[in-house]
Amino acid sequence: MANTNSAQSALDLLILTVLDRRGPLHGYGIATFIEDLSKEALRVEEGSLYPALHRMEELGWIAAEWRVTENKRRARVYQITRTGKQRLAAEAERWASFSTGVARVLRHA
Amino acid sequence: MSFFSRLRNSLHSRRLDQELGEEMRDHLERRVAQLREQGFGAEDAQRQAALRFGNITQLREKSRDIRLLAPLEAMLQDTRYAWRGMRKSPAFAVTAVLSLALAIGANTAIYSIVDAAMLRPLPVPESEQLFTLAWPSPFDGAVGPGQSAERDQFSYPTYLRFIAAKPPARLAMISFQARAEAQGPEPGAPREKLLKQYISGNAFEILGVAPAVGRLIAREDDHLRSGNAVAVLSHDYWRRRFHRDPGIVGKTLHIDGKAYEICGVARDGFFGIEPGRFVDVWLPSALYDSQAFTEPGWNWLRIVGRLARGASREQVTAQLQPAFHDFQLEQVNRWSTIPAAIRKQFTEAVLRVHPGANGASDFRKTFAKPLWIVLGLTLAVLLIACANVASLLLARLSARSREMAMRLSLGAARGRLVRQLLTESLLLASLAGAAGWLLAQWAAPVLVRALSSDRDPLRFVLALDSRVLLFSIAVSTLAAVLFGLLPAWQSSRTPPIEALRSSAGQAGKLRLGRFLVGIQVACAFCLVMGGAAFLFSLRNLMAVDAGFDPRGVAVLDINGGESKKPAASERQLMHELRKRIAVQPGVEAAAVASWSIFAGGGWTSQVFLPGQAPSQQQEIFYNVSPGYFAALRTPLLAGRDFAVGDGGLAEPIAVIVNQAFARKYFGGANPLGREFRAPPQGPGLLRHVVVGLASNAHYSDLRTDAEPIVYVPLVGNDQWFTLYVRSPLALGSVARLVEREAQAMEPGSRVSEMTTLETLVGNTILRERLLAGVGGAFAFLGLVLAAIGLFGLLNYSVARRTKEIGIRAALGAGRSALVRLILKDLLALMGGGLVAGLAGSLAIMRIFQSLLFGVRPADPLVMAAAAAVFVTAGLVAGGLPARRAAAVDPMVALRQD
Repeated sequence: MANTNSAQSALDLLILTVLDRRGPLHGYGIATFIEDLSKEALRVEEGSLYPALHRMEELGWIAAEWRVTENKRRARVYQITRTGKQRLAAEAERWASFSTGVARVLRHA
Repeated sequence: MSFFSRLRNSLHSRRLDQELGEEMRDHLERRVAQLREQGFGAEDAQRQAALRFGNITQLREKSRDIRLLAPLEAMLQDTRYAWRGMRKSPAFAVTAVLSLALAIGANTAIYSIVDAAMLRPLPVPESEQLFTLAWPSPFDGAVGPGQSAERDQFSYPTYLRFIAAKPPARLAMISFQARAEAQGPEPGAPREKLLKQYISGNAFEILGVAPAVGRLIAREDDHLRSGNAVAVLSHDYWRRRFHRDPGIVGKTLHIDGKAYEICGVARDGFFGIEPGRFVDVWLPSALYDSQAFTEPGWNWLRIVGRLARGASREQVTAQLQPAFHDFQLEQVNRWSTIPAAIRKQFTEAVLRVHPGANGASDFRKTFAKPLWIVLGLTLAVLLIACANVASLLLARLSARSREMAMRLSLGAARGRLVRQLLTESLLLASLAGAAGWLLAQWAAPVLVRALSSDRDPLRFVLALDSRVLLFSIAVSTLAAVLFGLLPAWQSSRTPPIEALRSSAGQAGKLRLGRFLVGIQVACAFCLVMGGAAFLFSLRNLMAVDAGFDPRGVAVLDINGGESKKPAASERQLMHELRKRIAVQPGVEAAAVASWSIFAGGGWTSQVFLPGQAPSQQQEIFYNVSPGYFAALRTPLLAGRDFAVGDGGLAEPIAVIVNQAFARKYFGGANPLGREFRAPPQGPGLLRHVVVGLASNAHYSDLRTDAEPIVYVPLVGNDQWFTLYVRSPLALGSVARLVEREAQAMEPGSRVSEMTTLETLVGNTILRERLLAGVGGAFAFLGLVLAAIGLFGLLNYSVARRTKEIGIRAALGAGRSALVRLILKDLLALMGGGLVAGLAGSLAIMRIFQSLLFGVRPADPLVMAAAAAVFVTAGLVAGGLPARRAAAVDPMVALRQD
């Protein structure tokens, strides 16, 4: 799973981070957080968030349930699991070493 | 979580679709609301939100695939679709499921019996190490049909020789199981019949059977010649009779009048070494008749062994054969009168060491081949049913060909369509398999009961267990593939454009249909031939003149009290009882004999004519009282009947011989007054003089020619005898009447077994009854199925040719010409199948030959009967479509399409 492709694992990393820091959120909430925080630099198609969420749900990294949110709307709310937290730590470290590696090459090559 | 949630989602895919839709819609609505707040117009906000979201359908599909098991979901969808399709045409579904269920049920039922009787290993550990011993016996066929060319009976001295030969194996001796009368420990317990078996002290240990309660018969019991008599109960008997009473150990069980202390119960599931016979009680072999331990000719036991680790059966044979040969030679040398041919057979006999994993079985000797044949018949029925369903599916497919073509044109994958069609077949097969399974659970015990008789009860472990279940599933699946694959392949092969162009592309289907009908006709013809042969065989057997009149004759085994009396007074009692019974109201005649004919018992001996070599064959000697010939209605042709004064062993012994004996030994000359010598039931040769000539009568088997019989007077050396009573009264009343009289004469005497002569004779043709009953039923089933198939195809062909028929009618063809047209089609359809069926059935009849009586392999009568039945069925099947063709209105037909 770790080496599939960097775009997908980047998206996973972002989702896990958001869920870890901000607590349970529905899909729309996650999308707006990512957009706001990255200053719209990471503008993916919003819809592609969902297959990623569902995949991570099947992997057991996040859990989902239907909840009634503000103004009585039903929404599917996601929450990071313990496996997900471990995954996040490993993934973050990998990402950090990857980006320092890339940065070093850019600087010294 | 993952797998199960995906499984759940697959099962409820519609709910998943709703959830996915709702989640994404929620997102879009929130986005629209946010954009509206930013000042976008309603339409703009919608468009903007959709743009930012991406391709919603594609994303939903992607999520969907993640959240469920795609192949399972597709299968479920196919199943639902197939189910709906079947609900839409219930007539088709019911016909298909019913015919398949009958075929699968028959297969499963027969297989479960074959498995229990022949294939399943004994329920003991490492049964593959077990072996049994047997040898080709020279005296076979002399007495009764149960004897085969091989004997697995041995005497105790032989057993000792085998042990002394030190084979690389452990040997146990196990007696033949015998019916016995038991009385339980409770005061006033009734007498009951059970199966007892004598077993050596090492037998349980060698077989690897442990006790459930108490202890089993062990080595120390081998030395208790006259000590404590112990008995081990089978688990089945313990449960059935004593309701698993754990305090049973130490209680007393009376068996045939002797007291035995129950020392334990064998573990659950162990029934002895013979599948089909459930032993109830095991007794130490040391308690068997003491004479049996010294008499080298008294063959009363089977020898079962367990190979030592690493040893082979060949090594055992190598060790035992010299010992066996020496023993045989000694026996032959002791026996001075033995004919040279038999002497040779004895001394050249080679001991056989058979694999013993499946135990030993007399049932198998008689029924192995018939059961395999019946299994073959059921397979033929299955094949017919499959071909039938295949043609039904084909017909249904042609109705759906446009739909299929449409789906293909719209881009459906061919593989997906084939899978869809196969799912339908599998659904049909599993429904049929489940119904067949239920049918088998009912049918298998019914069949076993049909093979069982009161005197010789047959029981099998017919637990329809995993082995049988697997067989049933395998058969159902095979059937589904057989009948499903051909039409599926055919339909997916048709180029859509042709199918869309309506009637074109149907020629291939008709060709396949013709092929399928051909298979049905061929198989059904084989079944009809086989069924006819077995029915004729049974009819011939039932038409055999037994030489006596078995109707209305009660056969009662009398136990004449516990006290042993001198032979003369014993004989006196028998005559007295006979006279008393004969004068009872409702009794026409009564006679006494030492045992009953057609019950498996008997005494055979060589005959020594003065001045001639001893006879090559053993002849039947049978002790009967005066009045025997009158009671059984066997005509006495010359001389006199026995008198009360005849009897005992005083020389010369008066005998009555039958025609077969007279022809064989006196060459057809008047036998009265002729003499011969024979060893009666005792040592030495005694003089016998012929005083009467009786008409031929069968003694133990209707299949053989009338055997030579020497009737001898009663001896009276046994307090057991058989009473024949000819009376129109019911068997029970006759038995009560006889018991009352017997007890009045001799307290303690009673009727130990009762049956009728008709039943006894019927029991010897159980195999033929089985084959005729089952063969006839399957022939009928196959014929009906094939007729349905034929009808279906002809009907379809008439429907397809409506236009052509219309033109012919318009051009002036008469009704008879049109009917001829269809009948020609029918003949063409049946022709190929008939030729194949005829060739096949002639080959099959060769296999059946040994089981047939009075029927030749290519019997013209059987063939004519089969053909007549078949043609009638064909005409019925073809008649309706032909009528339909004749009734075609040219105007309507031409306006079609």
